[in-house]
Amino acid sequence: MILLPCPWCGLRDSEEFGYVGEPRGRPNPLTTTTEQWRDYLYLRRNAAGWTTERWYHRMGCRRYLLVERDTTTNVVRPAGQVAPEPEP
Amino acid sequence: MSERLSRQPGEVIDRAASLTFDWNGRTFPAYVGDTIASALAACGVRVFSRSFKYHRPRGLLTASYLDPGCMVQVGDEPNVRGAHRLVESGMDVRSQDTWPSLALDVKAANELARRALPPGFYYKTFMSPGRLWPAYERVLERFAHGGVLGSGPASAGREVRYDKRHAHPDVLVAGGGPAGMAAAVAAAQAGSSVLLVEEEHELGGHLRWGDPLDLAALRELREQVDATPAIEVLTDSVVLGRYDGNLVSVVQRGLPDIDERLVKARAKTLVVASGLIERPYVFAGNDVPGVMLSTAVRRLVNLYAVRPGERAVVLTANAEGDAAAADLERVGVEVVRVDARQGGDIVSVHGRSRVRSVELGDGRTLGCDLVVTATGWTAAVSLLTMAGDVPRYDPRAARFRPDPSLRSPDVLATGGVVGDGTLDELVAHADAVGREAARRAASAPAGPLPELATRAHPELVRGRTHGIVDFSEDVSSKDLFAAVAEGYDSAELAKRYTTATMGPVQGKLETVNVVAIVAEATGRTIAETGTTTWRPPYAPVTLGALAGREREPVRRSPLQSWHERQGAVPLVAGAWIRPEHYGDPAGEARNVREGVGVIDVTPIGKLDLRGPDVTRLLNLVYVNKWSKLEVGRVRYGVMCGEDGVVIDDGVTARLGDEHFLMTTTSTGEAAVWTWLESWLQTEHPEWQLHVTPVTTSYASMNVAGPRSRELLALVVDDVAVESEAFPYMHVRTGRVAGVDGCVLMRIGFTGELSFELHVPAGYGLHVWQTLLERGRDLGVRPFGVEAQRILRLEKGHLIVGQDTDGLTGAYGAGLDGLVRLDKGDAAGLPELRWQHETRDGTRLVGLQTTQESLVPVEGSQLVDHDGLICGRVTSSRLSPALGRSVCLGQVEARFAEPGTRVTVRLLDGGTTTAVVTEHLAQVDPEGRRLRG
Amino acid sequence: MVDESVVAMSPIATASPETVVSGWTVSARHSTAALTLTDHTPLSKVAIRAPWDGALAQTLGVRFGRTARASWDVGPSTMHVLLAGASPGEWLALAAPGEQALVVGWLEDAAARTDELVSVLDMTHGRALVRLTGASAPRLLAKECGVDLHDSVCPDASALRSLVAGVATDILRDDRGGTRSYLLHCERSSGQYLFDSLLDAGREFGVEADGFLAPGI
Repeated sequence: MILLPCPWCGLRDSEEFGYVGEPRGRPNPLTTTTEQWRDYLYLRRNAAGWTTERWYHRMGCRRYLLVERDTTTNVVRPAGQVAPEPEP
Repeated sequence: MSERLSRQPGEVIDRAASLTFDWNGRTFPAYVGDTIASALAACGVRVFSRSFKYHRPRGLLTASYLDPGCMVQVGDEPNVRGAHRLVESGMDVRSQDTWPSLALDVKAANELARRALPPGFYYKTFMSPGRLWPAYERVLERFAHGGVLGSGPASAGREVRYDKRHAHPDVLVAGGGPAGMAAAVAAAQAGSSVLLVEEEHELGGHLRWGDPLDLAALRELREQVDATPAIEVLTDSVVLGRYDGNLVSVVQRGLPDIDERLVKARAKTLVVASGLIERPYVFAGNDVPGVMLSTAVRRLVNLYAVRPGERAVVLTANAEGDAAAADLERVGVEVVRVDARQGGDIVSVHGRSRVRSVELGDGRTLGCDLVVTATGWTAAVSLLTMAGDVPRYDPRAARFRPDPSLRSPDVLATGGVVGDGTLDELVAHADAVGREAARRAASAPAGPLPELATRAHPELVRGRTHGIVDFSEDVSSKDLFAAVAEGYDSAELAKRYTTATMGPVQGKLETVNVVAIVAEATGRTIAETGTTTWRPPYAPVTLGALAGREREPVRRSPLQSWHERQGAVPLVAGAWIRPEHYGDPAGEARNVREGVGVIDVTPIGKLDLRGPDVTRLLNLVYVNKWSKLEVGRVRYGVMCGEDGVVIDDGVTARLGDEHFLMTTTSTGEAAVWTWLESWLQTEHPEWQLHVTPVTTSYASMNVAGPRSRELLALVVDDVAVESEAFPYMHVRTGRVAGVDGCVLMRIGFTGELSFELHVPAGYGLHVWQTLLERGRDLGVRPFGVEAQRILRLEKGHLIVGQDTDGLTGAYGAGLDGLVRLDKGDAAGLPELRWQHETRDGTRLVGLQTTQESLVPVEGSQLVDHDGLICGRVTSSRLSPALGRSVCLGQVEARFAEPGTRVTVRLLDGGTTTAVVTEHLAQVDPEGRRLRG
Repeated sequence: MVDESVVAMSPIATASPETVVSGWTVSARHSTAALTLTDHTPLSKVAIRAPWDGALAQTLGVRFGRTARASWDVGPSTMHVLLAGASPGEWLALAAPGEQALVVGWLEDAAARTDELVSVLDMTHGRALVRLTGASAPRLLAKECGVDLHDSVCPDASALRSLVAGVATDILRDDRGGTRSYLLHCERSSGQYLFDSLLDAGREFGVEADGFLAPGI
């Protein structure tokens, strides 16, 4: 229902996409602790407000993309307008 | 037609085209253009329905789309708006939910039981004793309101057709009154494509039942719209809702061959010109047939040439009420005006199935048969609130007004919903808004919008007595006072407790009155009380319209038509349709163990992987190692997620140095492709490889059984099939049955000697039929998914998602031997390491019921000595090869030792015992048959 | 290559009367309707993967979102090819039935002249392809596809991928003789369902199934 700005295909209905979520750096699997790894698996900022998030254009160009979405209003804009948030 | 008047200047009926229809079994006349209600009213019918709870007789209140007193059954279609639906020749119309008849409705006894049926009575009654609930249900069913589906004479016996379409107008205008029309024309002239949506059967709004000047303006506006090709007009269509990004849903009716069409419009700018809706006045007897709003009178007289009564009392507080009184006098009705602006008031109306008399505020009681009220207007702000608008109450105008400050900038408003003015002022405002809408649709920066002031209007909600507030839900002002007294003292709580505003009218006639009465009961102002939130849908919509055309996506194998001709029982697996069996799954399974069978496995996921870095990806996504896999070899692999949970399994074959063919489960195909791409695009864009799904490039078939090699030899042209030439877990490419480019793998899900053939799909049926022809002497038979399930279960081969779940890790699935922890990196590697270290959780085990023929249902729980759940049966079948049950299950590690006895809880509550087996495989546990 | 006697079948049931063209069972029907739907599955279909901005991309000369026709010489013969920029770094080459090996060969030669990672896959069997032709084609598609197909947004020779009747489909606009025409390309197993959905949605426009005309592209 919301429109997402795919950098390749332009504005498309969100039904064409799969939602991936807030990107989060992957710890080194060889040296990580359980706490670091599980934070990576399950914890996200989940802010009320502008959030950078990844989507996958499954039914279109099949590229992964980033957008910024205000989670309180569902206004979406192409990523890159705000600096990505540091890890919590 | 005793109440039909002579020709009226703005009438919409065609007196040259008459027809007949039935109402409750009696035949009535009508003209083309009549609604069901107007045709009946023309014949003097006054009672159209019985109210929801108390079954009080009800007549016309608004004579429009919203009229709550006129929901009828038309043929097989329930809940038809009788004051909106046009009459068709031969229509069979009946009143709803009345027994035995509309005139004498026994359920009106509900009214006598009123004290036992206060608002919210269902929260307090029919609760205990709980075991009587089936009896309560039967009673409540009989009193449930609404029409009937699928019984009674079908109208014309045709099937209902739904449809759907997308639209991309620059500007969508919701509302086709004068403001809507002017805005549409202005936007189109400014270069936009426009979709204009109007609820009624024609454009025009209130101009249609206006005076000669209104009718002339109407003609002019209609001509402008007709002359503008960029405007697409939808009439008899309702805007259901506005969603993020100006996605606007519309249900369109009135199309030939289609009953309802859902239009999903993505508009750059939305202009809301939904107008004003007249409010009822609350007093005792305000729901007696014959009490109606001024707009109802003006519609009946001017659009349908129907005289609504002979002696009328008109309570008027505005110019529209005055005009209604004038219309009535013009057509010969006796009128007594009661001017609310001068303090005039109605105390109560007497009558039951018709108005008999009215008691006025000045003490007079007048005999009459028609009572008209014109006490205020409600702005139809629903669509605006769906766009973030928070309307504010304007006490001077006695209505809520939109507040654009919080609203999305791509949603504009014009017309009565914003303010008042002369027709010229409204049109000028709409023109400016239309032009601005076009500018915003063309991505120009938002410009200013003109204002539209409101006229003062007295605030009139309730007289001195209590009356009906929500006509659809039978909620009175007394009920609202009672709700407040019980503590439900906000608009939102009172609404939910009494169900006021929750009926088919969805608050359009009653929300402001509800708010005002809650305010009165709590001693607050209307502004302080606020209003409820309007959400989609704006009007009730059929599920059929939302579903659109009947559609069920189906994926078919190239062999499916053959399966159907053989009478295979179809199995729907995801979107694929597959043969479950051909009549004898146990026999099919036995044939595979004893001879040779063929199965269509086309839905198996297949991915083509090419490039120098393929093994890097395989090492990453599989739990085992892949760098040393030789060309021509096949290896089994299991994939885990980053949480160490099993997500898929399959075999991958190396066709060349840089060319691999990966197989996945059929249900996991799309997920695995997405998974691989996520690694390649987001973590390792530097890796050089391409992944392409080729699931449907091949028709895939498994030739399985001790005689499978013999059969293969009869169809393969250029591949050596002897055991030494084609060992277990090897892959070859070649020509099969005259078809080049086939891939052959020697693998074995069924545990028998078997070969999986992947044939270019277009030739799939040819190769399949060749196998069956040439293998006749070998006793070849097709086998289906059910037989395959039995065979793999006899061999203890797990199915991901069936024998594993969302928590099963690689070790829990018994894959200890497969996992390599000494890899550089792998998905979920840390979790796999920790699983290996802690060794808790559940384990996959084979189970043998001590009662050999008993096959516990899949999902049966396993319990320990204390009766606590310690696992479950994940797969179970009766084995044709062994003549006893075979099962796989997940069980807590402490019970996973072979020989352990566990209790199985059966569906009927009884229990039985099962023993953990030595091996997962029950047939040929050493796997000799596979490697033959 | 196949035995002469072996004939390939489309996933879409053939509208009678049947005939065989280039080793495929096809429909020999001839429709005069203003809106027609034809099964073009027998066409050679080759998928190319290469860097979206690399040397092969230059050679192919078709950007993402566009289509173009080309003539490729292979030995003495000339192949007529319709190229589409299907997604970033992915192209689709369509040619007459039976020519897939030549198309693959031409592309592999072109790829060998670059030092990029190029994958050339013959998808003739893996995909279904239908052509919808007629002035009301965009109105029919508007019932099954949510993307705006207006001329200003999707002119002739554009390519896009979205959902049609719920199936991921490449939509290639390829007008014929001034009449609106679209090629719709999806994975093979949904071919019959896509065809049926379009015939159903097109009923109000009088759509008819039409026959396959060699060479087809």
